[in-house]
Amino acid sequence: MKKGKIVLGIFLGLVIAVSLFFVNQYWIAPATSIAAKATGEYPEAPDFSLTSLSGDKIDLKDYRGKVVLLDFWATWCGPCRIEIPGFIELQRKYRDQGFAVIGVSMDDGPQPVREFYNQFHMNYPVVMGSDRLGELYGGILGLPTSFIIGRDGRIYAKHVGTTDVSVFESEIRELLAAEPGHKVGNFQTAGYTAAKEIQVSTPAEVNSEVPGVDVAKLTPAEIKEFKAVLAKEHCTCGCGFTVLKCREVDPGCQTSLQEARDAYSKFSKSHHS
Amino acid sequence: MRFVAVCLLLLGVPGGSSNRPVVQVQTFLATTAVHPGSTVKVAVVARIVSRYHINDHKPSLNYLIPTQIIFRKTPSLKVEKVIYPRGELTKFAFLDSPISIYKGETRFGGILRVSRSLRPGTYKLPADFAYQACNDRACLAPAKVPFEITVRVVPTSVPLKSSNTEVFEKINFP
Repeated sequence: MKKGKIVLGIFLGLVIAVSLFFVNQYWIAPATSIAAKATGEYPEAPDFSLTSLSGDKIDLKDYRGKVVLLDFWATWCGPCRIEIPGFIELQRKYRDQGFAVIGVSMDDGPQPVREFYNQFHMNYPVVMGSDRLGELYGGILGLPTSFIIGRDGRIYAKHVGTTDVSVFESEIRELLAAEPGHKVGNFQTAGYTAAKEIQVSTPAEVNSEVPGVDVAKLTPAEIKEFKAVLAKEHCTCGCGFTVLKCREVDPGCQTSLQEARDAYSKFSKSHHS
Repeated sequence: MRFVAVCLLLLGVPGGSSNRPVVQVQTFLATTAVHPGSTVKVAVVARIVSRYHINDHKPSLNYLIPTQIIFRKTPSLKVEKVIYPRGELTKFAFLDSPISIYKGETRFGGILRVSRSLRPGTYKLPADFAYQACNDRACLAPAKVPFEITVRVVPTSVPLKSSNTEVFEKINFP
């Protein structure tokens, strides 16, 4: 009798285990996957290597494993200046937990930045930015623009315009709690940008003959043909230029960028299908 | 540095490109034509997109980028003086005290001198309207709007007519 109960118990345990397996396989996992697709994949933060005002080499990849607040700003930008004391405090408070701020100044030269750095006793590295770096980060739409990068090197939030420091702190704390190297599953951003809206570019896209579109897979003749296609279409952003011209003079224009990428997709299919 | 001014409801930036500037510029002359060797009043009217402002020519804070009108040098046409209006003192959340700004429609003046040796005809004087715009949350990169003043030179025997008087009324010429 006792033996029978043990066998029954084992059998029931197996049934439950198998049931849970199939429930996860065909119900929970697909639902999670759908949620992941709906929110989109958080993009990896483009690498860069620049020298700080203090002369230190700042390689973003050296910060893997830390949570990073990457702040694009300028000394002539009032909304930028007002955020910086908050960043200084965040750096002080969370440095030992693996948090770092990196400032990217979009000033024309380092002199005013150095003066500001000293006046405000900034406690994190500041590098001089460039158009190219801005384009790698999807085009800087206005200053300040800040990115919150997780321990896994992915961008989890993007904030354009002055943002209350409590918003940053909430996001930083959530990401600090994540295991290094692991994606954060359900990041709850208090900011304005969903994962799918965080656009970054690759070096191939930034350096392309058609800025923002990686044409490396096309032959030189095909590139010429593709550029001719773009030279016939007018950018609908209102600039008055063709898509090609708009890409060349304003690589950050999101309208011509999307139009060029859509055109490339069609062109590539028709030539390489 | 160039940035992108992209239409974001959040920022209220119009258009999808920095090629649609936040400031649009229109020019006017006080007379329909000018005589060689004379001067004429010029008006430069800047229309600044709603919710944005640009800094006074003499900014309230030394780190703010001033608004400037830069006329190119030509042998026969020269703007001797640019008249900048007084800005509007406005308080923003990101600053402790009000700053002097231009917003909406702002009128600038100039005194254009025409060379005595200039023959009758139509001439253009290129210029740049340089500014840096912000709204109450974010700033756009410093920018320049190129424009030109078209000047019709006529012989001194041809009488001149006033034009655009209403535009010049609000500009404080010396």
